[in-house]
Amino acid sequence: MIVVVGLSHQTAPLEVREALAFPQETMAEALARLREESGLAEAMILSTCNRVEIYGRAPESVAEPVAEFLARFHDRRLDELESHLYRLEGERAVRHAFRVAASLDSMVLGEPQILGQVKKAYEAAEEAGALGSVLNTLRNRSFAAAKRARTETAIGRNAVSVSHVAVELARKIFGDLRDRSVLLVGAGKMSEVAARQMVRDGARAAVLGGRTLERAEQLAAALGGRAAPLEALRSEMARVDVVISGTGAPGLVVHREDVEAAQAARRHRPLFLIDIAVPRDIEPEAGKVKSVFLYDLDDLRSVAEANLRERRKEAASAEAILDQEIRGFLEWRESLDVVPLLVELRSRADEIRRAEIDKARRRLGPLTPEQEKAVEAMTSGIVNKILHPPTVELKKMASNRHHTEYVGLIRKLFGL
Amino acid sequence: MDSRVYLFLALIFYAVGAVHVLVHVLTRRRLLTTLTVTSTLLGFAFHTAALSQRWTEAGHFPAVGLRDGASFLAWATVLVFLLVYVTTKVDALGLFAYPFAFVLVFVANLSPPSDRPDSVLQGLYLPVHTVLAVFGYGALFVAFTMGVLYLVQERELRSRSPQRFYYVIPSLERCDTIGGRSVILGFGFLTLAILTGFHWNMSLNGRYWTGDPKEWAALAAWAIYVVLIAARFRAGWGGRRAAWLGIAGFLIVVFTFAWATLVPGVVVAAP
Repeated sequence: MIVVVGLSHQTAPLEVREALAFPQETMAEALARLREESGLAEAMILSTCNRVEIYGRAPESVAEPVAEFLARFHDRRLDELESHLYRLEGERAVRHAFRVAASLDSMVLGEPQILGQVKKAYEAAEEAGALGSVLNTLRNRSFAAAKRARTETAIGRNAVSVSHVAVELARKIFGDLRDRSVLLVGAGKMSEVAARQMVRDGARAAVLGGRTLERAEQLAAALGGRAAPLEALRSEMARVDVVISGTGAPGLVVHREDVEAAQAARRHRPLFLIDIAVPRDIEPEAGKVKSVFLYDLDDLRSVAEANLRERRKEAASAEAILDQEIRGFLEWRESLDVVPLLVELRSRADEIRRAEIDKARRRLGPLTPEQEKAVEAMTSGIVNKILHPPTVELKKMASNRHHTEYVGLIRKLFGL
Repeated sequence: MDSRVYLFLALIFYAVGAVHVLVHVLTRRRLLTTLTVTSTLLGFAFHTAALSQRWTEAGHFPAVGLRDGASFLAWATVLVFLLVYVTTKVDALGLFAYPFAFVLVFVANLSPPSDRPDSVLQGLYLPVHTVLAVFGYGALFVAFTMGVLYLVQERELRSRSPQRFYYVIPSLERCDTIGGRSVILGFGFLTLAILTGFHWNMSLNGRYWTGDPKEWAALAAWAIYVVLIAARFRAGWGGRRAAWLGIAGFLIVVFTFAWATLVPGVVVAAP
């Protein structure tokens, strides 16, 4: 049975998540102790800033000992954590594993980092020798499902952070950013992130410095652009397509007249003004100049929210894709169960037995009822005698940690 | 098979495409899927069969009267749409192309063929003139669509709280570029169509200009496009104004086409 025990941003505040985190360097030790103390045949620990979860497989239900381990390892009492913990088993655990990998359970829906974090967690478990065929298949299938969800739906497509929204808007206005120019007024962190992305897309950058030109020069060098003093605002603005303003100035830095002058010089080609400063740098009236698109911080946030709503709508199609993939995984799991294997083994043997009787009958001609009975009894006897020991052994094995490997082997040997 | 059967089959497949695009814009998936494109190609194949069959039935190039005119214009529109889609991958074009083609073929299906044996319809003027004209219309239709998409996308960007069209329409720059190229192409075809129209007039009436209203309409549309193209190249007029001019020019062109096909007797020199 597959089990997931843990807590996430949905059930626990940050301080609880921090307290229960497994640092990278304790991972090997934690995995070893976990398997020993809770009876897990396979185990993996996912520990990120938004979730701490233990994934495992055991012959029987082990959610309780796993939860106890989680508390004990961090010197906590389980009843303190009780309200934050979830324990999932069987299909619910599988679904959870798929949804986490596909970023459907993330704080920022569709964010791409989680898949990498899950990947690392599985790798750590593999190195610690805690991964078997079931969790390994869970890893492969859930990753494939996550990639499908990402390419077949728009769940990760539209930007949800302010600086990425700025870049995305620039692309919606100018299409390709190659050979476009971006002007940074002031050298803040957020403008830098957005500008870096635009430069990576092929844009050229220029930075206007405030009181000291030094910081502007550093940033310009990092962006492969040039620096200029703030006095050059009008002439610089006439040469660019995007302006990102984020100075710490108390008053306005870019006035409507500046923008009008620039637009006249640029023959009213589209100009994208991004004001990420608080208080604002760009006069709101500047947005009314022809072919000018002005976005302030609130506007960018409002687009980010719209994008997030868009992602939520896409989540439904992503869930549908996961449903398919989860069904595939569960079917595979079922094929590894002992009982269906026994049924199949027996019906396969019976099939062979009947086919051989038919063949023999064609050669022997019609048989008397007594002969018919004797043949039936003899062949059944052979099949039963051959299948008896493996049947008994397999039933015993059903509670063994490694029965899935044996089941797989027997399927292969008998061509089932 | 009768050309009517082919035309009806074409209508069915275009309807599938049109419904699919509209459903997809509401459910926000990718606008065009393999299903849409396949049904378009099938519809187009039947449509081509319908045209060639109709050519044999009518005994002249099938571009006369409402039925044949609408059908032929739809055929050219679908062809132009497919070409533009293959080269640019702008699927938002389908939002207009499918309903437009569907309505035209629907009208064609309902109208009776106008079979009037007429010596005017023989010879090369009819096919050459109409082929030039419909490809011109097709390209100008693309320019019209890109103009509308541009204005919608601009509104979305100014709203600061984008709705569904923000996500399906390409960037302003792309709408503007594709619209601009289509205008030039369409204008070229339109010019040639008008010139052959005058020539046709000459060979029939001995005059280039008969003063017919559709000649004036054609000239007006042509003039709008001259202004548009000149403004684009000399004054750097792009974006919003170019979008509006592209829309206005196409509306006048539609008027000319409607005039030429709906008013009885005027088949000649329709640009």
